[in-house]
Amino acid sequence: MSILKKEEIVKRTFRAFGIRVLGIVAAVASLMTTQNALALGAAAGPNLSGLWELRFDSANVPPASLASAMATEDPSVQYQHDMNAIRWCHFMGVPYVMGVSPIDIVQNLNGKEVLITTPVRNPSRHIYTDGRQHANPETFDPVSGGNSIGHWEGETLVVDTVGFSGEGVTRIPGGGRRTPDSHLVERFRLVDGGNRLSVTFTWEDAKVFQKPHTYEFRYYRAPKGTEQREYDCNASDEARAKYLLGAPGGASK
Amino acid sequence: MALSQTATSSTKVPDISGFWERKDEFGGGSFGGTLERIPKASIKPEYIEAAKRAAAAAARGEVVSFGSKWCLTNSYPFFMQHSAAWDIAQSQDEIIQAPEVHTFARHIYLDGRKHPDAEHLQRSVNGHAIGHWEGDTLVVDTIGFSNTGGTPGGGRVGPGTHLVERFKLVDGGKTLSVTSTWDDPAIYLKPHTYEMTYHKSEPGTYAFEEYCHADDEAQGGSVVPPPQK
Repeated sequence: MSILKKEEIVKRTFRAFGIRVLGIVAAVASLMTTQNALALGAAAGPNLSGLWELRFDSANVPPASLASAMATEDPSVQYQHDMNAIRWCHFMGVPYVMGVSPIDIVQNLNGKEVLITTPVRNPSRHIYTDGRQHANPETFDPVSGGNSIGHWEGETLVVDTVGFSGEGVTRIPGGGRRTPDSHLVERFRLVDGGNRLSVTFTWEDAKVFQKPHTYEFRYYRAPKGTEQREYDCNASDEARAKYLLGAPGGASK
Repeated sequence: MALSQTATSSTKVPDISGFWERKDEFGGGSFGGTLERIPKASIKPEYIEAAKRAAAAAARGEVVSFGSKWCLTNSYPFFMQHSAAWDIAQSQDEIIQAPEVHTFARHIYLDGRKHPDAEHLQRSVNGHAIGHWEGDTLVVDTIGFSNTGGTPGGGRVGPGTHLVERFKLVDGGKTLSVTSTWDDPAIYLKPHTYEMTYHKSEPGTYAFEEYCHADDEAQGGSVVPPPQK
């Protein structure tokens, strides 16, 4: 619940008792005393928190309508780029991490941020829901996860991400790749009585897609007690490097 | 705005979410001043000797760790003593500490679960952490570390190490105090306790991604020269 809504509720309560002036004073006092406290169970929007799994029927991914240059590109270019990132344990970035199961969502009780983590060694996804705008592109260093801001439209969390780099695994489900010019809009929505989480991904990038490319992942709520593990990555592991790349001189670099 | 997550309890807990960062309050601009104030751990003689041997090797110009060159995962509590900020996201059942440094997010489960038994424990760099609120203090109990790294004050971490931390807001919420107590009969002669404080970052702070590229020749440069002996 936002601070403004708290204030409005308190105001209405006091209005009912006909003591508006005291109500305003009390509301201010309430905000002062609770600014560092959270009511357990209260959060902005539907509660998306928890661990969410992908299963065999989770992905609904149509083929992307690729721009001509992308459509005629040798597929090995993308493959080698991504395998190199995996071999050297680079950050995978978005959208790769959204396809690593389970994802763990923690939605701040104060409504200011939604954090998403995955089992791979990758920076957490910080989705700022405190009303801020995107970071200034003049000073923001592009990153594999981009810069994400979110807001609620009814019961849907809408996340807008720009500021991507070309680092990591850049392949997009259905075709195409993430580039520094990509714009991603995700819509998170609980379905099936809260047992599933629908996330639709819509990518726009004029050099990659002829038209916006949209697909959906429907995650299952993980059983109670599920925990997120750490899938570590060791770039010095020669056996792993040989398996991934046939060891083109990389492991001993 | 719909509120399908209705309040299930009138209990209120402190809001410790947001970005927190260390500041050197006692030194001359580096973090040395702060770390030097941490009491020295009382550890077994063999660990003291091992630390001396490592220090002597480093003084001779020997490489004592290739962790930086290979961008290996930083183990807990590395990010707690690093200058980079870390972010807390807080829900009713879980708290995540999301550091910028090269490691995994730390998950602290608050849903009443217990630690797994030894047979089912999956060791990890952040260990298995469960927490609960004691009044305005978050108490976190951690076991199951996979690493053999160090702690502030010269302590060590091992497979049998047990950590208890107490997180508490002070200074009107501007500062977060974290008291850590490490114990492990294989390492410590007595529990090693110290306190570190973290300052709330300004509103609008956002996280960086701290890259480390093991395939970048320059990444290993800091540990390759001078010529190895």
